[in-house]
Amino acid sequence: MSQRHERSMRPDCNGASHWLIRRAAHRVPSALSSRLEEEWLADLETRSTTLSRLRFAVGCCWASLVIENEYPRSRVAAASAVAPAGGFFTLVDRNFSYFSLRSATLFLIAGLHAALFFGLINSLSHTQAAVTPPNLQNQEVAPLPPEKVLPSPPGPELKHWTIYVPKTAVDLPPKLDFEPDVIVDVSDKPPEVIARPPGLETPTHVVQQLVGGPGAGFPETADFYPSPSIRLGEEGLTTVHVCVDRKGRLTSEPTALKGSGSARLDDAALRLARAGSGHYRATTEDGQPVNSCYPFGVRFQLKK
Amino acid sequence: MGQKDTEVRMSLQTLRVLETFLDNPTEQLAGAEVHQRCGLASGTLYPILLRLESAGWFVSQWESIDPSSAGRPRRRLYRLTSTGLRRAGEVFASFNRGVLA
Repeated sequence: MSQRHERSMRPDCNGASHWLIRRAAHRVPSALSSRLEEEWLADLETRSTTLSRLRFAVGCCWASLVIENEYPRSRVAAASAVAPAGGFFTLVDRNFSYFSLRSATLFLIAGLHAALFFGLINSLSHTQAAVTPPNLQNQEVAPLPPEKVLPSPPGPELKHWTIYVPKTAVDLPPKLDFEPDVIVDVSDKPPEVIARPPGLETPTHVVQQLVGGPGAGFPETADFYPSPSIRLGEEGLTTVHVCVDRKGRLTSEPTALKGSGSARLDDAALRLARAGSGHYRATTEDGQPVNSCYPFGVRFQLKK
Repeated sequence: MGQKDTEVRMSLQTLRVLETFLDNPTEQLAGAEVHQRCGLASGTLYPILLRLESAGWFVSQWESIDPSSAGRPRRRLYRLTSTGLRRAGEVFASFNRGVLA
């Protein structure tokens, strides 16, 4: 700083330095205020440059803060300005040690941190509130009325479904439901033609079917009549089902369709059916023998 | 009420102030002169002077001049007390022994 410039600034800076020192002196306890003001102003005059005077004045401000915090606990014998030169002492006995400059600085730093933290939390919460869509915000919901007990629902309603089955183009003949009336007795009877059930219309081409049965050389029933049955007087009719080829031979094991009521008679009838293999008369259709299955009856009857 | 010889927190700056006074224990020094000799700023120097004074290590009094004739204000002068001299000697002696007082 040039001397010319410094000279032009000196009155203002002097005033500022004095003002700072007076302010600093008034900050300290009153017992020291006038003394320090006079002392600092006297020492200020020893500073030559403006900058050093300002630095001194600022230093006095700092010193006043330190003294303000230390003075109460320090038993300073302060000589007031009006006191005689060698005299002393105003003793102040106040104890503010718990609030020293160091504590004040600590509190200030802690307060700044708390304020910073509070501001950060607030800004974050505002940001989050702005981001959150309104439909996600919490809303207080009025309490619901007591729930009414609803009656139990009725059972499942069963509907009567009607299934319509389309009719086939081919008219099937009604089910045959009749008893075979071909009963083979030991006696030689001519085979009978199975009568067609009533209502069965005659097709355009009527196949002349002649159902087979026991033929020539078929074993005699009496030869298979069980002796115990003869003694006990058991009689009965067993209906046997056989499958026969065109030559009158059994193609499968004969079975008893309807029993006689006596197991012995039924077994005897099956043995008779087996023994007659090759002696069956094949079923003919339009006069031609064909493989077929048919039932026939074996009657065990004692001669009177 | 008399001065008390209380404990003084011994910092490096305090030692520098004491050292300045110990150079000539009978000399009275104003704050400005202490500043010039030890180089401490006013913000540090004056609290130390007051602290030592309250502890009884220093006494202070106004300079015996007529401000109008001298052309400058009177200054506050500090000097070591006998207690301050003894305690300062003990402090520096303990430093020589390597023990902080």
